[in-house]
Amino acid sequence: MSAVIHPRPNPIVAALYTLRDMDVEVSVIHGPPGCGFMAARMLELAGMRVVTSGMSEKDLVFGGMKPLVETLKTVKERFNPKTVAVVGTCSSMIIGDDVPAAIRAADIGCNVFHVDCHACMGDNTRGAVKALEAGRDAGIISSEEAHRQKQLLQAATKMERAVGLTSREYLPPAQGPTKLAVCMRIARCLREGKKVAVVMLAKKELAYRFADVLLAVDEARRELGGSTFMVANLDPERGLPRIRGYAKEISEDLVDRGFRIDKVVGGLDEYAVIGEEMRVAVEGFGPDLLILAGIPHAYPGMSREDILITDQPRQLSNYLSSGYSHAVGEISSHSMVMNVHKIVSTETGDTLREIAKG
Amino acid sequence: MNCGCGSSAAVQNDGIRRVAFYGKGGIGKSTTASNVSAALADLGVRVMQVGCDPKADSTILLAGGRKSKTILEFIDEDCRDLDTMTTEGYGGVICAECGGPRPGTGCAGRGIIVAFEILDELGAIQKYRPDVIVYDVLGDVVCGGFAMPIRNGYAKDVFIVTSGESMSIFAAKNIALAVGDMKQMGYASLSGIIQNSKGVESEDLLVDKVAEDIGTDVIARIPHSRVVRECESEGVTVVQGRPDSVQAACYRNLALDILARTEGTAGHMRQGRQEEMQWEKEE
Ligand SMILES: Nc1ncnc2c1ncn2[C@@H]1O[C@H](COP(=O)(O)OP(=O)(O)OP(=O)(O)O)[C@@H](O)[C@H]1O
Ligand SMILES: [Mg+2]
Repeated sequence: MSAVIHPRPNPIVAALYTLRDMDVEVSVIHGPPGCGFMAARMLELAGMRVVTSGMSEKDLVFGGMKPLVETLKTVKERFNPKTVAVVGTCSSMIIGDDVPAAIRAADIGCNVFHVDCHACMGDNTRGAVKALEAGRDAGIISSEEAHRQKQLLQAATKMERAVGLTSREYLPPAQGPTKLAVCMRIARCLREGKKVAVVMLAKKELAYRFADVLLAVDEARRELGGSTFMVANLDPERGLPRIRGYAKEISEDLVDRGFRIDKVVGGLDEYAVIGEEMRVAVEGFGPDLLILAGIPHAYPGMSREDILITDQPRQLSNYLSSGYSHAVGEISSHSMVMNVHKIVSTETGDTLREIAKG
Repeated sequence: MNCGCGSSAAVQNDGIRRVAFYGKGGIGKSTTASNVSAALADLGVRVMQVGCDPKADSTILLAGGRKSKTILEFIDEDCRDLDTMTTEGYGGVICAECGGPRPGTGCAGRGIIVAFEILDELGAIQKYRPDVIVYDVLGDVVCGGFAMPIRNGYAKDVFIVTSGESMSIFAAKNIALAVGDMKQMGYASLSGIIQNSKGVESEDLLVDKVAEDIGTDVIARIPHSRVVRECESEGVTVVQGRPDSVQAACYRNLALDILARTEGTAGHMRQGRQEEMQWEKEE
C-alpha cells in the first residue's frame, strides 16, 4: 500500500486539538493565513482562541519573526490570556524560524510556549505528542499525564493503521443507508424479549452525541421489552481536566434523564486501549444483538452481525465495503459537539424512538 | 580556443540569449560574467545581468564598484518601480541583484524565486528588451530556489566556470548533474566549461578531462592575471579598465563565443512565455 491519500488531519491539527484538551487559552498558528483554518474554526467554537501570524511571501524570504512577534502582542492586548501556544507550520519550520526567540522578543508576560511541529512529520498523532511535550515543559500538564497520553496516542495510531482510517490507501466518504433498517432490527430484538448490548467507545467530545444511542435503546426497551446491557467509556476520573469534564457532564445528563450505565470502562481518551475489557463485560451478559457506537473497530470482537455507528463518512465506507453491512453514519457529529454541555440527539436514536413509540 | 583573434559580432535580434554561470564559490563567476557583459555591451548588445546570490555582489564591477540595493530589499519596502530596483551599469548593462534575507534567517532560495517573479511581473523584459540575460548564480545549488535560473525556462544555456582545483572540479561535476536533470525536463542545458585558471599544475589537462567526463567542451581558458585584482580594486571590469590587455581580449573572445554557442529564444524572462499574468496587487 502506498501512503494514505484521502483527506486526513495532519500533525498541526492534532497539536491544536491537544492544546484545546490542555485548556490552553490561545493558540497562534505561525504560518500562512488559512493554514489549519477548518480545525481553527471548530476549536474557536470549543472556546479556544485560534489565531494566525498570517505569514506573507515576504516573511518566507526574510523570516517570519516580525509577524509572529506582532501577533503575540495583539493576542496579549486583545485576550490577555494566561497560556498561549505557538504552533509551527510547514512554511515557518522549513525556513527555520526561531520561535522561542520571537516569544522572548514579544515578552507578553504570560506562559507562552512553542509546539515545534509541521505537517510533514508523519502521523497526525506526532503533532499531538509534540503539543503534550511542550505543554509538559511549560508546566501545563504533569509528566505522568503526558506519558499516559503518549501511550494512548500510540495505541490509537496503531489501531487506525490496522483497521481504521489509515488502513487503506483511499477511502471514499460514504453516506450509507438510512437508519431505518438497523433500528427496526433493534426494535424487533427487544420486542422478542431478547438481549441487546450497547457499547459506547467514544472519542472525547463525540461522546456528547453517541451517548444518545444509550438513551434511545433504553427508551426503546421500556416501550418494547427485552433486556439491555450498557457499557460506556465515561470514567470522570481519567484524563485531562477538560476531558474529565465531558465525562462528568454527560454522566450527569444521563442520570438527569433517569438512565443508568451498567458498566463504566475507561475514560474518554482511552478508546484505543479499553476494547478488550469492554468485550469481557459484554460476553458476561451474552447479548443476542450488539450495538457499537463511536469507534466500533476499537472493540476487538466486532463482528459482521453487529450494528456499528460511526461519525466518520470514510470509516463508514470502510465498514460497508468490508462486509459490515449493519453500519450507519452519524455524519458531521463533530461540528455538533464542539460547544455543547448536554447530550445531542442522533438520527439513529430518534429513528429508534419513533419506531418504539409505534 | 581562439583567444586574441577577434571576429565581428553579428547580433541579430532573434530573441533573447539566456545564459547562466554556475561554479564553485569564489571561482570567478561574477568576475567572468561581468567582463562578458561589459564586452557584449561594447559590441552594442543589450545585456541584463541578474545576480542570484544573497551577497548581492555580482554586478559591482559593472556599477562603478558600488553595491546596488537589491530587488528583495525594495520588495521589503514595498517598492515596485523597475527603474529603482535595477541599476544601469557600464555600457548600459542593466544590473539586477536579487539579494536575500539576513544570513541565518528566512529562505534565500525562495528569495530568488520571488525576485524573478517580480522582474517578470513588472515587465522587465518588455521594458529593457535585452538581447542577452546573464544569470550569475551563487556557488552551491543548495536548494530548489537556486536551481530556479536553470528551471522553468529562465536560463537556456549553462556555462560552468571552473579551475583545475579538485574542489572546483567536484562542484562542476555536481552542477553538470543538476543541469542534466533540467535538460531532461526541457529546461536548460550545458553549453560549455569556462576555465578560469588558477595556475594549478597541468590545469588545462585536468579541465579537459572534466569536460570529457561530463560531455561538453572547454570554450575558453581565462588566464589568472593580476589585472583582474587591480581592476577590482578600481571597481571596474578588465574590459572597461584595461581594454588593451590580453585579459580583456580573452573576455571579449569569450563573449563572442557565448554568442556563437547560444541561440536566441522568444519569450519574456522565461523562454516562450509571452503572456504575463497581470496580477492586481493591492496597493
Ligand atoms: N582570472 C582571474 N585572475 C585573477 N583573479 C581572479 C580571476 N577571476 C577571478 N579572480 C578573483 O577571484 C575572486 C573571486 O571572484 P568572484 O567574486 O568573481 O567569484 P565568484 O565565483 O563570483 O564567487 P561567489 O561564489 O562567492 O559569488 C575575486 O577577488 C576576483 O578578483
Ligand atoms: Mg559571485
